Amino acid sequence: MIKVEGLTRKYGAFTAVDDVSFVCQPGRVTGFLGPNGAGKTTTMRVMVGLTPPTQGRVTIGGHLYKDIPNPGRHVGVLLDASAQHAGRTGREILTIGAQTMGLPLSRVDEMLDLVSLDRTEATRRLRNYSLGMKQRLGIAHALLGDPSVLILDEPANGLDPAGIRWMRGLLKSYADRGGTVLLSSHLLNEVEQIADEMILIGRGRIVAEGTKDQLLAGAEHKTSLVTALDNELLSKALQEKGITATPAGSGLRVDAPPVEVGRTSVEHGIVLTDLRAADGGLEELFLTLTEDSQRDELPGQPTTAPEGTAA
Amino acid sequence: MSATAAPTAIDFSSTQHVPMSRLARVEIRKALDTRAGRWLIIGILGLVVLIEVIYSFAADNSDKNLQDYIQIPGFTLGYFLPIVIIMLVTSEASQRNGLVTFTLEPRRSRIVLAKFIAGVTLALSVMVLAVILAVLGTLLGIATGGDVSWHLDGGLVFYALFLSNMIGIFIGFALSMLIMNTAGAIVAYFAYTLILPSAVGILSAISDTFEKIGPWIEFNTAQSPLVSSPYSPTGEEWAQIVVAGAIWLVLPLVLGIGRLLRIEFK
Repeated sequence: MIKVEGLTRKYGAFTAVDDVSFVCQPGRVTGFLGPNGAGKTTTMRVMVGLTPPTQGRVTIGGHLYKDIPNPGRHVGVLLDASAQHAGRTGREILTIGAQTMGLPLSRVDEMLDLVSLDRTEATRRLRNYSLGMKQRLGIAHALLGDPSVLILDEPANGLDPAGIRWMRGLLKSYADRGGTVLLSSHLLNEVEQIADEMILIGRGRIVAEGTKDQLLAGAEHKTSLVTALDNELLSKALQEKGITATPAGSGLRVDAPPVEVGRTSVEHGIVLTDLRAADGGLEELFLTLTEDSQRDELPGQPTTAPEGTAA
Repeated sequence: MSATAAPTAIDFSSTQHVPMSRLARVEIRKALDTRAGRWLIIGILGLVVLIEVIYSFAADNSDKNLQDYIQIPGFTLGYFLPIVIIMLVTSEASQRNGLVTFTLEPRRSRIVLAKFIAGVTLALSVMVLAVILAVLGTLLGIATGGDVSWHLDGGLVFYALFLSNMIGIFIGFALSMLIMNTAGAIVAYFAYTLILPSAVGILSAISDTFEKIGPWIEFNTAQSPLVSSPYSPTGEEWAQIVVAGAIWLVLPLVLGIGRLLRIEFK
């Protein structure tokens, strides 16, 4: 397991990570979520000893990373898939890793198979790899030593949808076998589907943590999005109850919780094809919690907040 | 969700540290497994062959001794071996693979040592190959009508071929760790090895005082007794090598190691 205790990292006057503490449990996938520049990468770099902390510490299985013998055999790390010599072939990169860790070379082929890089692709140089291929190679490199702890920074970056699904399965089965998995992302959807636990970070501070249900508990829904076979009829029925409904896309945006809209439709025998809460989702929580650390002004830029109700 | 460390502590005591021999072997591989690294070494040896062939046809028949041929790699290696070292060290930052290198072995001083061992091993292997090429060159000298002597001056081999090249590769180590950028370190190396001695030469020509202090403060100038006949530096010349070496080799090497142990590989 990974234990972060009171971790602070300052660069001059700038505090990249500010008194962060959390624990990643074995057997679970922990998602580390935050906008760009929130401190995710710095935290992970401290974990593996690449960046010294200003205060606090990180232990893995009770030890500082630098005290772990042959760490590649215990902790699989992927911080940046592009951080490899561009002139080496994929196979050579894995071979160097395997040789350093003292693994048989057969392990290289096993890993290439696991991440579905074929033999021809493996003989190409890294500079000719797409981002997705680099990412697969990086995951293969992290898994080389059959570690019990995985630390992956933005592993889904550049993967195609099938690749993301593959990685999700891979990490889940990894955690199911007792492994500790920590992965970061700035994309909520990625983490939401994989992670058992979530840690939300903004401006170097943890703003929320817990399971998805824990994070969503207490969120009240006040707006719904609904589509009916007869939108006009539903709109009228709602207005009779004094509820405002405005057309939105192919359906209606209603200023009432989904349960109220559902009740109305049953009362009037209107068939609904879609009904969901328009607020209070994880995404909104994420945006609200990290609001002051967002780079973009949300209300003025509806493109970053499709629902446009964050304010 | 217990916060106690006991049940989740991992026992690493049965795992061995990565042995130095393995780290050094990997570093040698890393110097040769890229096109740039492999072709640089092939290029160096090719250049030696080329110069020997030209020399065989151009030189006086009385100058085609083993002693003459062995000076060709002596000088060629001097210019280019340090670049092999510079690429081996600076690629960790310039190509960013330091992120992986230093997570697989977080005790950086061991990587530094492994790179020293790898660099010295590579340099010695290239030197041995160069001596073999010098012998082949001498045979070519016979074939082109040379009156050949196989006599070899021990001072030439030890000082001009071995010692001066070893100093060169450690200059390469020092500059690459200090600058940590491939292009920058190569430029600095050529400034050090070409511009600096010329500048000292010009200054010495116009100032007697400078001619006296030059060998004490400029390392290339101080090393010239190592690479020129009779290949036996005097006591004063050794003192100059030590003083200039402290300025240009030991100091940058110490600062460079300190920097490599501390910098953040991004």
